Amino acid sequence: MHHSKLLARLALATALTGVAGTASAVEISFFRFFGDCQTDYGTVMKAAEANGECGIITALANQFNAENTIGAKVVTQTVDWGAYYDQLTATYSTGNIPDVAVMHSSVLPNFSDRDLLVPLADGFAKVGIDTADFVPAALKNATTNDTLYALPYDLHALLFHVNVDLMAQAGFVNEDGSIKLPTSPEELISMGKEFKEKTGKFYIATESQSSEGMMVRLWESFMWQQGVDVLSADGKEASIATPEGEKAAALIKAIYDEGLANTALDYPGAEQAFLNGEAGILINGTWGVDNYDSQAKSGKAVLKNYAVANVPGIFGAPKVWADSHMWVMPKDEGRTPEETEAALAFIKFLNDNNFQWARTGHLSVRQSVIASPEFAALPHRSDFAATAENATALPVVQNQRGIFSAMTTDLNAMWLTGTEPADALAAMQESVDQILRRNR
Amino acid sequence: MSTARRTGSARTTDIILLGLTVAFAILWMIPVVWVVTMSLKPNVELMRSTAGFIPWPFTIDNYFNLVKLATVPRWLMHSFIVAVSMTALVLIVSSLAGYAFARLDFPFKRTLFLIMIAGLMVPEQAVFIPLFTMFADWGMHNTHAALVAPRVAVPIGVFLMTQFFRAVPRELEEAAELDHASYFTIFWRIMLPLSVPALTTLGLFTFIFAWNDFLWPLVSATKAEMFTVTVGLASIQGNFAFSEGLGSVMASAVFASLPIVILFLIFQRFIVAGVAMGAGK
Repeated sequence: MHHSKLLARLALATALTGVAGTASAVEISFFRFFGDCQTDYGTVMKAAEANGECGIITALANQFNAENTIGAKVVTQTVDWGAYYDQLTATYSTGNIPDVAVMHSSVLPNFSDRDLLVPLADGFAKVGIDTADFVPAALKNATTNDTLYALPYDLHALLFHVNVDLMAQAGFVNEDGSIKLPTSPEELISMGKEFKEKTGKFYIATESQSSEGMMVRLWESFMWQQGVDVLSADGKEASIATPEGEKAAALIKAIYDEGLANTALDYPGAEQAFLNGEAGILINGTWGVDNYDSQAKSGKAVLKNYAVANVPGIFGAPKVWADSHMWVMPKDEGRTPEETEAALAFIKFLNDNNFQWARTGHLSVRQSVIASPEFAALPHRSDFAATAENATALPVVQNQRGIFSAMTTDLNAMWLTGTEPADALAAMQESVDQILRRNR
Repeated sequence: MSTARRTGSARTTDIILLGLTVAFAILWMIPVVWVVTMSLKPNVELMRSTAGFIPWPFTIDNYFNLVKLATVPRWLMHSFIVAVSMTALVLIVSSLAGYAFARLDFPFKRTLFLIMIAGLMVPEQAVFIPLFTMFADWGMHNTHAALVAPRVAVPIGVFLMTQFFRAVPRELEEAAELDHASYFTIFWRIMLPLSVPALTTLGLFTFIFAWNDFLWPLVSATKAEMFTVTVGLASIQGNFAFSEGLGSVMASAVFASLPIVILFLIFQRFIVAGVAMGAGK
């Protein structure tokens, strides 16, 4: 009898301890893409020891869980990249709204305009995130209607990835070792022809078949280089079927018509062509840098001598397409003050470790990180540091993904079905106008 | 002499047909073999080249990484629960409704049948948002019931069973009717045993559909612990999985397809019969 009472008391004490333990750990849900690599990085507690987008973000969450002193625990949920925004939207109805979520700046207005995100300026001030340290373009992308909704985390922009050996064979390497790149539309075509003649390879490889729209990003860059905003700042007007638009589109069509790029390549195909030494320049984003660098260094790829260059100013100022990954707090009426505090602490931790994320190949959005010696020491970063200044994004308007998708279909028609630039642009203008009318 | 010539000619035709069948079978198998080959190669290798049918350099890491994930067995369990329940419910609803449409007389039967058939013409996407909102209002998302319920009323299943029951000779039921057997007894004792081939076919197609379903589970099961295997395996892929993690993607494809392949091997004669039945109608 005495024993059973003692056991009951012990059981009660254990249960109470358990409850107390649970109550002190504030769990916050963390919704993101970038994949699941628990198998490789589940036990890595220092972000500095991880590599790649998935590895670094996994280790950052682990590190926060191990080091934070407020008893917060981040529980990660990964979602397929392609379906990410559908599932994030669905959580507002299914009831498991995440506390912190990743978001592209191009998608931000779709959520902020519907009042689905928590404004963060006050929270940032409270936890000590210095917004003045952000690159202006990134801060602008995180803000809609004068309200700050996100922590900008990177700038990812188009780059020219270069096979230096092929460039040297074509005579396009300067004495100082820098790569000679075209500075006008005419030069791009003439250099491309010369390259093809001397090397027998394609001058350019890029995704030309699927929905990645790499050439739309280049076309937009060419528009900004000519001083034309594809979308007006208020997001109500599109300037597509314009003389500048036609010049840019005509150049892109000429690249294919002159056989300087292979129309048959999809995204992986373009990467394979570049790694196998079949093209001089790969037009792709910042996210590829570390991968191509390690492939070149592995000695197993035909590409041996890899370099990176900013997209040159073919039409003027070297403006280039860019987007940003950001962290947001989706609105949730059921979130407790403790959960909000833990979520803000995690966002602050991510911001403090922005340099680790810059190791993925993306550009940092913190001026202090860009100016740091650690950043300059990362492979190739100094070669494309100017991209942070040249980076240009569409204004923060709704349905940018829909606009991008419509533009991709119509622009791709130039080399896939032989549509003339003027017709392609007219179709693009019509599709985009239709979407913009819906936004009003 | 002429018989011998005919035999020779028939044999030539057989050989040509066999040759064509083999050629088509190989053609159809090429993508499958390619997928398996890529699943057995390292991701870094595949980033350089996806060509070739020999898995060299060889690795089983892509499969190991899947098996080591603690959540995978749970996702498999959810898929299994959903597929089995959906199959059972579709069979019950379709056979009962099919029998009623084929044999019973009730008011507005023809109109109801037409409305049911009209359901074949409504694409899933057209009702997707109302369906999602409805289940959200009921607070049912992230449950097995939400994954199964919208798929239970299947017009094609009811149509298939109706057509099957209509083809059963009336005489078989008349004897039971003379013994004053109820409609349900006739259905249960006579019609259902006769419809095993049709039910097996419908059941297999439903199971395969349920196992492969992606869009509805994607938005209804938003908690990782409620994912089905299709949504779960997609969630672990990195952003540029088709270039940087192709081997892992292919291993996921093989892994998720295995239960269906096994099911197909066991029940293939029913599937073939089902396709033939569908074509016959």
